[in-house]
Amino acid sequence: MACSLGGCNGLKRKFENIEVALPFFLFSALVIIPLLLALDRLIYVSGKMPWQVFSSLDEHYLSQDAIGFTFLQALLSTALTLAIGIPIAWQLGRYHWPRIRLMRALLTLPFVTPAIVAAMGFMAILGSDGFDLRGERSTYLVSLLFAHAWFNIALVIRFVDPVISNLDPRMEEQLRLLPAGNSRWGRLRCFWIPLMFPSILCAAVLTFVFSFTSFAMVRWMTPSNATLETVMADVGGAAGIENYQIYSNELVLASSTIQFLVLILALWLLSALQAKRSRTIAEVSESHSRKKGRTGWLVLIPALLFCLSPLMAVIRSSLRVAERGPVISHRWTLEGWQSAISGDYAYISIIDALQNSLGYAILTLVISLPLGWSLSSGIHLLEKRGSYWAKPLDILTMLPLAISGVMLGLGILLGIIRISTVFFTMWWMPAIPHIMLSTPFVVRLLLPAMRRQDPELIENAQVLAMNRWQILTKIRMPLLRGPLIVAGIIAIAMSMGEFGASWILVRTGAWDTLPVLVDQLMTRPGFDPLVKPTAMAAASLLMLTTLILFLVAERFRPDGDGGMF
Amino acid sequence: MNSKVVLVTLIAFLASISGCLTGAIDDKGMMIDERGVEVPTERVLTIVTYDIYGLTSERIMEFTNQTGIKVEMIKLGDAGAILNHLLQTKEAPQADLALGLDNTYLQQAIDRNVIQSHGANISNVMESAWLPYNGTMAVPFDQGSICLNYDTNSINSSQGRDVPTSLWNLSEEAWKGKVAIPSPVTSSPGRAFMIATTDYFANDDDETTNWTDWWSAMVDNDVIITSGWTEAYETHYSGGYGVWNDDHIGDANFVVSYCHSPGVEAYWADNYTISTSLTLDRASFHQVEYATVVNGTANAEYADLFIEYLLTEDVNLNMPIENSMYSVLIDSGLPADNGYLYHSELPSLNAQVSPEEIAENMDSWLAAWEAAMV
Repeated sequence: MACSLGGCNGLKRKFENIEVALPFFLFSALVIIPLLLALDRLIYVSGKMPWQVFSSLDEHYLSQDAIGFTFLQALLSTALTLAIGIPIAWQLGRYHWPRIRLMRALLTLPFVTPAIVAAMGFMAILGSDGFDLRGERSTYLVSLLFAHAWFNIALVIRFVDPVISNLDPRMEEQLRLLPAGNSRWGRLRCFWIPLMFPSILCAAVLTFVFSFTSFAMVRWMTPSNATLETVMADVGGAAGIENYQIYSNELVLASSTIQFLVLILALWLLSALQAKRSRTIAEVSESHSRKKGRTGWLVLIPALLFCLSPLMAVIRSSLRVAERGPVISHRWTLEGWQSAISGDYAYISIIDALQNSLGYAILTLVISLPLGWSLSSGIHLLEKRGSYWAKPLDILTMLPLAISGVMLGLGILLGIIRISTVFFTMWWMPAIPHIMLSTPFVVRLLLPAMRRQDPELIENAQVLAMNRWQILTKIRMPLLRGPLIVAGIIAIAMSMGEFGASWILVRTGAWDTLPVLVDQLMTRPGFDPLVKPTAMAAASLLMLTTLILFLVAERFRPDGDGGMF
Repeated sequence: MNSKVVLVTLIAFLASISGCLTGAIDDKGMMIDERGVEVPTERVLTIVTYDIYGLTSERIMEFTNQTGIKVEMIKLGDAGAILNHLLQTKEAPQADLALGLDNTYLQQAIDRNVIQSHGANISNVMESAWLPYNGTMAVPFDQGSICLNYDTNSINSSQGRDVPTSLWNLSEEAWKGKVAIPSPVTSSPGRAFMIATTDYFANDDDETTNWTDWWSAMVDNDVIITSGWTEAYETHYSGGYGVWNDDHIGDANFVVSYCHSPGVEAYWADNYTISTSLTLDRASFHQVEYATVVNGTANAEYADLFIEYLLTEDVNLNMPIENSMYSVLIDSGLPADNGYLYHSELPSLNAQVSPEEIAENMDSWLAAWEAAMV
């Protein structure tokens, strides 16, 4: 039946509204409902509201200094990350380097390296079979800061490098003609700092967020200090049970509330900064703007060594076994790999654990990629319409970044207790936090790409009477092939490396993922010298799988991509 | 799951939520297929446990081959996590058998009705393993005493570092910052040692101080409290295998572990160890780990069969090697190989605290411990 033009437009708009609302509803349900149920359970069992339990953190030995240490290490980690990352980003963005794509990939690889592998790598470098610096407890905080810097310099590179590399060189030339541009300091003060500042702050905020919620690295590298995240992990298992260890509920409630408030504030700041950052000046292709580097190798070679050495150390440790006796010595062997493959030291072998990890990663991909696409399309559509809903929904998609892995795991665990414990037996349960954590990354990769798409292409397709499905499959998806592939691979990598939530939610031994297996092996008594090399072999396999995925993703990353990852 | 996950992820996901994979099960435990015909279901025993090292996939396969019962494992952190899980899932139990509750947690499990009587045929368990509990709700499967271990190289009389004859010696200047203890809030061995201190100081000659005073004195003497055993033993202890590890500090000469840990050290290091145990009367805790049938399980029969399997000589006599714990079988002992037996000292008098006392007082003890430490 024919309809009037206005009627059809109204119907189309309604359909579009539903199309926008549905993924947001699904995403909100996935993220918010378990957390609300968990909050309700904690309040019910503890009999207190969140603001009534803050003091409990100071009343317990295990959480006494957690707030102070969490802030201290996060702030120092952020400062160190910027100190190391900015010179690297400057060199990469400003000068011409051979094999720059590979170099960029290697320097940003740490960000997708599973944190537990990174922790093992740093301990191997600093340990008795390395530089032997772990003997002093005073070195722990410093080593954690370097590990966090190692993990997060990719953020500085990803945010700052494109701002410099895509800058039209004529701007700098023109500046040199002005009085303020005469001196190097003048150019830095009046041009480079204002130009890079929003991007540096964006990287700083995200580094703070990831350091604040860091779990595996803190758990392994500063075992004597608790953060809010490790407190929740330590006592969370006993939370949610009536008339039983009530203090656990109070500690989880206090830690998660403080963490949530701090992270929401950080993400609000990030959103405001990104808006400022998007008001960019004229850009050109990066190949036009580069100069020949001279002394930059003095920065880049140590940077590459810094990025790759923990990964090499993990592989080396998997091939070394301690010779017990009065003299400390190690020998080279493949026994660690053999026992990891045969599963001698665990309920499942590394091959089974890899299959599990890949299984969860595929499930994550299958859900988070279409969900992330729908969310990005929705935001983009609202932005085009000038809707005031665009910004809040954009922030909503970042919400899981404000909820750490342990918080998510506990939220789902306690939420399950409220709904039905039968869900404990559902093997797909551990995939939920993977989906929640990877979807924001998918949105962050797809949304900027959608914004860059020429709207005339879609309009032309509509003029050619292409339907929505044809526009999607023949125009939009082929044009976004690169970002889609990158987003898919990053989603897989995020799922493969996820540890905090899996550590809480993986219940059945047969579901063990590679990061969980590494942790299990590392925590079992190591009287038998083969236990540690076995754990390192599992960590190596996890790392190599992630490395391959990331290098593949880099091939499809668009030039000058200034996204988060 | 494994390859099945990779291949049928979506199908199984959709199928499991639509319920089309599972047919109805009748009261005989048989599944009714689409034609209404009874077909035997797969016999599955679900065990909730922590990482018990003796239960390798090989051992589990052996049980399956003998009985035709498939085993699924729910693996958790430690004994406390097992109790948490049983309490969380009390209304709809997910496991049939719990392995690893010890005598510091057992009574709470009994009081809260999360376990039930077993029907296993048990006749070969030694008397001492039944000492903490001898009812039908739990069957011992391994045991050991928890006490302080120390690095023999740290003993130096000329520097005032003699072998302690009282726990109070450890609060003296000579041992400042040299004792590592896992927290009783987050660690089972830590909890067991705290219980031992309540009995030790209740029975010492000094009437003016109690166990919390000792813990406060230890805080003043920079005691190292860790969240788990691994960190205390591997990272901080100077006398253990941790010295070969990357994360080793070695700042503690004393650590809470098992009294037979030096024997385990020697066994894996070709009869070499510098560690020994401090077996002061009542300063150790006899820990027994139990197999318990989960209350409300439909598979109690399978659970009983597994308990009997766990107590066969083939499995249980290997506990010292495979699980670093004593066997509970009559006339069993530690192997003499590589100095295992020689370096494993048995305390002459463990702390005398019953499971009932532990269950009754645990919350107030933990609160008192917190107050002493903060």
